[in-house]
Amino acid sequence: MSIAEIAGITLILGGAILSFLAAWGLVDFPSALARMHAATKSASLGLALVALGAGLAAESAALFGIGVLVTVFMFLTAPISGHMLGRAAYDAGQASGLVHDDLANRPSRPLSFETGQTRVSLLRMLPLVVIWVLLWRDSSAGVWIGGIAVALAIELIRGIRRRPTLVRPGAFVVFLAQYMWKVVLSNLRVAWEVITPHNDQITEAIVAVPMRTPSVPAALLVANAISYTPGSLTIELTADPLVLYVHVLHFESVDAVRREVADLEDLVLAALGEPLAV
Amino acid sequence: MTVFVTAIQGMLGIAALLALFRAVKGPDLVDRIVALDLVLLLLAGGLAAEAARSGSEFFVSAVIVVALVAFAGTIIVARFIEWRDTS
Repeated sequence: MSIAEIAGITLILGGAILSFLAAWGLVDFPSALARMHAATKSASLGLALVALGAGLAAESAALFGIGVLVTVFMFLTAPISGHMLGRAAYDAGQASGLVHDDLANRPSRPLSFETGQTRVSLLRMLPLVVIWVLLWRDSSAGVWIGGIAVALAIELIRGIRRRPTLVRPGAFVVFLAQYMWKVVLSNLRVAWEVITPHNDQITEAIVAVPMRTPSVPAALLVANAISYTPGSLTIELTADPLVLYVHVLHFESVDAVRREVADLEDLVLAALGEPLAV
Repeated sequence: MTVFVTAIQGMLGIAALLALFRAVKGPDLVDRIVALDLVLLLLAGGLAAEAARSGSEFFVSAVIVVALVAFAGTIIVARFIEWRDTS
């Protein structure tokens, strides 16, 4: 058995255990928001690990490449669905047993993008569509339609972005490394919660954390990243000023939560090169 | 490898049963959709494990489709819950 196979099997086993614990937490945890912690963190990382492990175990570079794509997809989508469902659960009155709740007196205006005028340029779309069709090595109608849809989506996203956000490669790698470490910690902690029989260590609270940066992309990245760090889940982000509402499983003090978010915000700002608000 | 993948899929299957238990029990629509989202992710995990056994890219494509459906479905239901509560 090769090293790649052993590594693949290890990853698949780890992913399956995490997925199982997510399901166990879903049965065991006392409230809807606490259950969401188990589902958004453990299950998505579990699937990513199994997909990565499959490529290694089969010793196939193509499979591993798709596994990496699945991982990126899970890391982008899991915090978003956790955020939206968390907010919906709160608004539906499912947030019970909170020892501290800042969301009760939030301003009514959630964050929205000022899309302004979206300009779609057919000239810019054309090369994208051509590259798409070339990569598929197939010029059937379906491939063309898919290419046009992707190019159109890129054009629309371009319209939303008001000014370019620069990424500093070195700082971004540091951010990714620290972020990965937090993800591992987060999952170990949720796993521990699940296997220990008593839930009396869980103290749920929702804390408002004002962002220091005025940058929306940076705030969104912090909001997503927070959902993966130990025991915290973003459930609302309001604009003017940018305030993050974080649901935590182990509440100690408002300052402790804010300090944790501030650490992450520093990393994100270093990675994006965004100026702090004065 | 065959036995290993079967064991993994069995484990994911039991996890899916646990999640289905929560989906039936509720008590709220939010709990049900979180549970069903998890069932789809577990299905995707089972398909990814199948890809490890066969080495075929077909199963991984299926993983992407299932994960996309899970995400889109969850987002749509979250939107629905917010719409239901405001109207």
